[in-house]
Amino acid sequence: MGTFVQQVFNGLTVGGIYALIALGYTMVYGVMRLINFAHGDLCILGAFIGLTMLTGAIGSFQPGIALLLLAFVVAIVVVAAAGLVLEFVAYRPLRKADRLAAVVSALGASMLIENGIMLIWGPEVHVFPAGLLPATIWHVAGASIAFVQVMIIIASVLLMAALYLFVNHTRFGTAIRAAAIDQDTARLMGINVNRVIASVFVIGPALGAIGGLFVGIYYREAYFTMGWTYGLYAFIAAILGGIGNIPGAMLGGVLLGLFNAFAAGYVSSSWQDAITFGLLIAILLVRPTGLLGERVAEKV
Amino acid sequence: MIRTYMVGAVSALAVLGSVPSIGAPPIKIGVQAPITGSYAEEGQGIERAVKLLADEQNAKGGLLGRQIEVTTCDDEGQAAQAAICGRQLTNDGVVAVIGSYTSGAALAAEPIYARANVIQTSDGTSNDLLERGYKTWFGNAPPNSAEAEFTAHYLVDVRHFTRIAVLTDHSSFATGLADAVVADVKAVKGNIIEKAFINAGSQNFTPVLTELKSQSPDVIYFSGYYSDGGLVRAQMDQLGIKAVFVGGDANQNVAFAKIAGPAAAGSMIINVPAPQDLPYPAAKEFVASYKAKYGSLPPSVYTLTNADGMRAVMQAIEQTKSTDPAKLEDYLHNMKDFQGLTGTFSWNDRGERMGSPFVAFEVEADGSYKILYPVPKAS
Repeated sequence: MGTFVQQVFNGLTVGGIYALIALGYTMVYGVMRLINFAHGDLCILGAFIGLTMLTGAIGSFQPGIALLLLAFVVAIVVVAAAGLVLEFVAYRPLRKADRLAAVVSALGASMLIENGIMLIWGPEVHVFPAGLLPATIWHVAGASIAFVQVMIIIASVLLMAALYLFVNHTRFGTAIRAAAIDQDTARLMGINVNRVIASVFVIGPALGAIGGLFVGIYYREAYFTMGWTYGLYAFIAAILGGIGNIPGAMLGGVLLGLFNAFAAGYVSSSWQDAITFGLLIAILLVRPTGLLGERVAEKV
Repeated sequence: MIRTYMVGAVSALAVLGSVPSIGAPPIKIGVQAPITGSYAEEGQGIERAVKLLADEQNAKGGLLGRQIEVTTCDDEGQAAQAAICGRQLTNDGVVAVIGSYTSGAALAAEPIYARANVIQTSDGTSNDLLERGYKTWFGNAPPNSAEAEFTAHYLVDVRHFTRIAVLTDHSSFATGLADAVVADVKAVKGNIIEKAFINAGSQNFTPVLTELKSQSPDVIYFSGYYSDGGLVRAQMDQLGIKAVFVGGDANQNVAFAKIAGPAAAGSMIINVPAPQDLPYPAAKEFVASYKAKYGSLPPSVYTLTNADGMRAVMQAIEQTKSTDPAKLEDYLHNMKDFQGLTGTFSWNDRGERMGSPFVAFEVEADGSYKILYPVPKAS
């Protein structure tokens, strides 16, 4: 029982992070039919900017909650700005071009950001300061649950709820949904589609930066190739949930985290990824558009 | 380059002109090492160590009333040059050759020394070096299997762990070490409860560790690298796993303690200690005089294993009162419990080093290392 509860929390923590990152893939795809392969690297850029805020600015002082919040704000602002620049430089000029051109541009942007991080921060493993958050560990039903895990799970849920409300219950959210269904018609209705596209390149990376910084705070390490690992998992989470569908990305992230935990915990740790991805293939065979992906089928 | 070093040796002798052995021919010891090229730092370390030992011995009156003369040949870490060095040093009439640093260079010169009946002691560990069974070969570094053997001995015989879990990543290095540890633990009748895997770099190791926790191991041995090892250690703490963490040699990196954070203290790492961390008084003395003379620490522990080769040869000459190769080789093969700078060892009849320099460190709260086993003692 304790082991089961523990595996659920293990899965939910990492699943929440995957979900936050997956939202960036799915929103961009929903509006533009483009996989932004640079998204994972943008998220890790957030982790590095947060790291610099936490270690560089304050010297030997023990970082407190205020500084942690500041680190989040700066990481979000910088990464959102980077997302905007990325859209303007790498994707906007190619909007009318062949789909493949944008994919190549996305892969190039991914390498550019990854290697940029390496050149700025260096190739070694960077370590986040210890004691950023209370080291409290709760013992629930035989499982040990750390404060940071609970914080990540709650924050992910709140952020996703806020995004859901924003997209479904505000004027601008309606504009985003309209642009996702048909850009030309949306334009005829007076929606500024360029602004909508820019907005998904702000919201996605901003959430991703939070996910990236969660990775750094939870595991306390960051290195420049991490964007690839997390980007891949989050991308798969987005596909699993149904790419283009916002609740789908959330569901996909959490399920992927849980799959991984149960595969390692109950089947075999050496087959962890093989089992996870085998299950993914099985689900996609039954539901090719992902778990919540009807809307995509509608559009295709 | 070689000439410069020779002049150095000669002038060192001139300074020591007042010792009583003038007139008796010197005992010649060769150094074959990569003085230039990619391994120059290591090669120069070997030459410096041998010269330091020779100078100290000469200051005490030399060996058998004769001075020691060191001749260096630069093999550049290359097989072709190593063969030339072999001929050059044997023509010079050396009794023994210390070096080389790389297995390849040692291998190329090995048959030349064997035919000339010149003792060769090198840190090379390639199995090819043992294949021909040359009686002139004495490897001064432990064979590749020594780490797993030491680990099994430490876990089972020293700490008496009864529920041993082994954790590894999928790399060939880590799985190779993990498999060897599992086999060696079983060989000493230890109990392996599970061998589990992590995906290196995936960071989320809690699922695997939760599963391990349910089997209540008393030790988790991790054979992978420090960046994952530090996280494994931290996540063990987070999950409330009380088992001792023991890491393989790739966990020895300053980042390990930083990543593991508050959980780092009390973790164990098994590795060959850095020269300055060797616990033996003779080693501390040697490292101190090396630093005093050359202004830097020895580049690696292999400087000291080669120094041990030199020390063993000097002890053999002193004990047998002879420079007859047959007598020296016989002495070295039968020498028991030689007190080396890198631990106690002896040589088997194939010239393999028996007795490992591996130690078990404990990581301290400040990230420094403390050797717990073998128990540091005055020897």
